[in-house]
Amino acid sequence: MDDKQKPDGIVLTEAQKKSRRERSIAIALALGVLVVLFFAVTMVKGPAVLVRPM
Amino acid sequence: MSVVDHNAIALSPRISEADVADYIALLKPRVMSLVIFTALVGLMIAPGHVHPVLAFTSILCIAVGAGASGALNMAYEGDIDALMSRTANRPIPRGRITQGEALAFGVTLAFFSVMTLGILVNWFAGALLAFTIFFYVVIYTMMLKRWTAQNIVIGGAAGALPPVVAWAAATGSLSMEPLLLFLIIFFWTPPHFWALALFRSDDYARAGVPMLPVVAGPDATRLQILLYTVVLVAVAFAPWPLGYFDAVYGVTSLVLGAGMLALAVNVYRHRTGSQALRATRKLFAFSIFYLFALFATLLLEVVAHAVAPSIW
Repeated sequence: MDDKQKPDGIVLTEAQKKSRRERSIAIALALGVLVVLFFAVTMVKGPAVLVRPM
Repeated sequence: MSVVDHNAIALSPRISEADVADYIALLKPRVMSLVIFTALVGLMIAPGHVHPVLAFTSILCIAVGAGASGALNMAYEGDIDALMSRTANRPIPRGRITQGEALAFGVTLAFFSVMTLGILVNWFAGALLAFTIFFYVVIYTMMLKRWTAQNIVIGGAAGALPPVVAWAAATGSLSMEPLLLFLIIFFWTPPHFWALALFRSDDYARAGVPMLPVVAGPDATRLQILLYTVVLVAVAFAPWPLGYFDAVYGVTSLVLGAGMLALAVNVYRHRTGSQALRATRKLFAFSIFYLFALFATLLLEVVAHAVAPSIW
């Protein structure tokens, strides 16, 4: 295949790539916060983490 | 014959250029800051000790739930937001985010905020948060807002619930104190939003939103503002004689209430020209300070009790 050939499909502009990267980092950070939160609460509650009153 | 429309395929799909700031704008950060503050007060005045991690989790979930409500509100109101100068710069009218993207964002945040609060703190608080989001999005945004001039009176319940949710997160139950906080915010909402609606009535009329000044006229609105302010001042003062909050709170609520009442009377008296506009703007600005100062007093009382219990 010719390396110089333009790829098929959608080609993102620099602005689109930048905003997508920003959004991906934000989603990763949010997931990280969620993981840390669940870990921290599990540590705080200990075995009581399984007791969830209505 | 092909069932595929080749012209449609030739059109390039929309690729989002929305950045993080656009998504943060969907959360209505200013509303969220007031929600965080009132929820913090609800959590702090609750009896017993709440572990800081659980307190942080509760406030975070309530804040994200409020943000989800804001995003879902904007997803539904993209059409009228474009018509009003106050909201025309929001991400959907500017074309940065589609209504579908905002809807997906809001639903995701609402789901995670409710589930996280339920799993990590307690399900009663989680259910209350779910009800708050439902009330704001379905009852207020989708039903009341475009239907009745009492939209913000009834809808105000959604904005008044965060301290109740926070109390429920701390205690797993409800009692009189969070309901008093609920009532204060509930009766604060009409004078606050009608003051805004008085100097933005052209906006609301253009968008077809039946706010009280558009439907009943500015004079009727001024009277309603005054009446609701009288009720608000009484409701905000009541917890002191009823024995729920201390004298410092009672005196503060009286002083702040006098200011609020004076400004409401001013709005009632000045009905035309620049004086009328200035009076409504002053009431709107002071009402924000009023609620903040009232709740800050409760927060300071709790801190003072904790730092110097013998003196306080």
